[in-house]
Amino acid sequence: MATESSEPAESSDRLLGHQRVEQLLSTSLYVVSGLLLLFLWVPLAIIILLAFAENPVTIFPFEGFTLDNFRLALDSESMRSSLTGSFTIATVAASIATVLGVLASFALTRYRFRLREVYRTFGIIPMVIPGIILGVALRIYFQNLLGILPGFTTVVLAHSLYGLPFVLLIVSARLYTFDESLEEAARDLGADPITVFRDVTLPVIAPAVGAGFLFAWIRSFEDYIRALFLTGPNTDVLTIWMFSRIRQLDAPELNAVSALIVFGVAIALAIAMNVGNVTGYVAGTVTEEE
Amino acid sequence: MSTDEPDENRRARAVRLLSGPRSRLGITVGPSAAWILTLLVAPLAFMVAVSFFEVSSLTYQIIYEPTLNNYRSLFDGGGAIWQTPFVTALWLSYVIATVTTVLCLALAFPLAYLLARNGGRLFKVVIFFVLLPFFTMYLVRAYSWVLMFGPGGVINSTLMSWGLIDAPLGIFNYGVPAIIVGLTHAYFPYMLLTLYASLDGLDFSIIEAARDLGASRVEVFRDHVIPLTLPGIIGGSLFVFVPSVGAFITPTFLGQGKVQMIGMLIENRVAGTYSIGYASAASMFVLVSIIGAMILAFRYVSIEELGGA
Repeated sequence: MATESSEPAESSDRLLGHQRVEQLLSTSLYVVSGLLLLFLWVPLAIIILLAFAENPVTIFPFEGFTLDNFRLALDSESMRSSLTGSFTIATVAASIATVLGVLASFALTRYRFRLREVYRTFGIIPMVIPGIILGVALRIYFQNLLGILPGFTTVVLAHSLYGLPFVLLIVSARLYTFDESLEEAARDLGADPITVFRDVTLPVIAPAVGAGFLFAWIRSFEDYIRALFLTGPNTDVLTIWMFSRIRQLDAPELNAVSALIVFGVAIALAIAMNVGNVTGYVAGTVTEEE
Repeated sequence: MSTDEPDENRRARAVRLLSGPRSRLGITVGPSAAWILTLLVAPLAFMVAVSFFEVSSLTYQIIYEPTLNNYRSLFDGGGAIWQTPFVTALWLSYVIATVTTVLCLALAFPLAYLLARNGGRLFKVVIFFVLLPFFTMYLVRAYSWVLMFGPGGVINSTLMSWGLIDAPLGIFNYGVPAIIVGLTHAYFPYMLLTLYASLDGLDFSIIEAARDLGASRVEVFRDHVIPLTLPGIIGGSLFVFVPSVGAFITPTFLGQGKVQMIGMLIENRVAGTYSIGYASAASMFVLVSIIGAMILAFRYVSIEELGGA
């Protein structure tokens, strides 16, 4: 379409015809989008295929289907203990992040105070600062300044900080559109602050709080680089387990674990999308009518 | 109203506590502010300090005497400045991150535009297929490209078994192209969702009006679509560029030892020899450049508009 830039619209219309240009454009838009989805999907589809394949490294030569890879992965003691470890860390860290994030969202949307903009900016930084820098900085800080050796506590603290911005952004977006006159009405009818929060505010923001928790949970669960610097020898984390196996190209177990993760995420996402407005939360377009 | 009579006393006290504007502010701001101060500001400040101190290579203790040795060692490799591991790694990281960002922007715009213009069923299905990789573990996605690339990887072996090529192609081996593909795959959803959020708020009747008034498609795109979605473009670029600069997992696996980006260099120095002075000094350069990019971006958008992902 570069030729159009220098000429007015009529000349190009004469050249091809308005209808045809329109059609061509929209077709190419669909083609590009289709190719993109293919790009996003082919690698994941291949992992799933290889998880069921006798030859786990590459498609050709294809030697038939098997469930052995899954059996191997699920039987692995180290896999199960690191999966439990990651679940625990993610759940504790996301819970802390949710409590802090919800409180902070109220402060940002309801009150004016000094350094409010600074506070907001610093509340979002943990999300954008490269993981390697946050990981190394926290490691040095804990080990050299505070004398705390890396372990479960340090990784939970790091992940709770990392999860905070996700909760903060999602919940404060919801609170901005919240009609405060509802709370006023409840207060006028004699409800105390606790009742107002429990019966009026919480039900409205609950989906956003849930989405924020989920985001913080996923971020913690899939994090490798912060966990690398902040876990000790006794803290097992799934990403570290996977990383060392990818390095050795130990494909059979990895493919199976990866496929299970894709399935798990697919099911969770399908449920979440039917229950709530996931796209809204992700793309930041949550509006009053859900 | 209250169902828990026995707690009435404690409850009354809690209510009184929650009523004062000062204590309310303290309760809401306090905990997260404490977290940010002790787990973000203090560690970063300490890192700045460490970058100016010597660290004993025997005891790994910090020797609290100001020095510039760490910064000197970044640029001191015996040869020319631009040949030191630090400068090469940093430069390469910027190049790779820039290419990745441009690629993501070019790929995501058509899809985001299509999604914003078409609601309904198709939209829900497409967004599901975009979100699924987005929520899938980063490590799994990086690993999927480890299988795709390489001399015996899926791409090469498929092309060979179809008889399209006789020997594995170099471009599908591990290296910089593989890293760019892996990073694009990893951060593409951030760009798409941020762009979609800003295109979704776009009033498409403006475009029709401009077209009716005789503007060409390119003119409409340049004069209306781009300026109106600028916050999304800048926000999305930031969300792709910043993590790409500091990437570690993707370049480690898809470079297979042939490529060193800055994140790998820092990890290598800390995990290998615990050279935290060197690592801190190197991190300062990354941090400063990221802050610079963000300040530049904030001239066009507010941090709230960036809240997309």
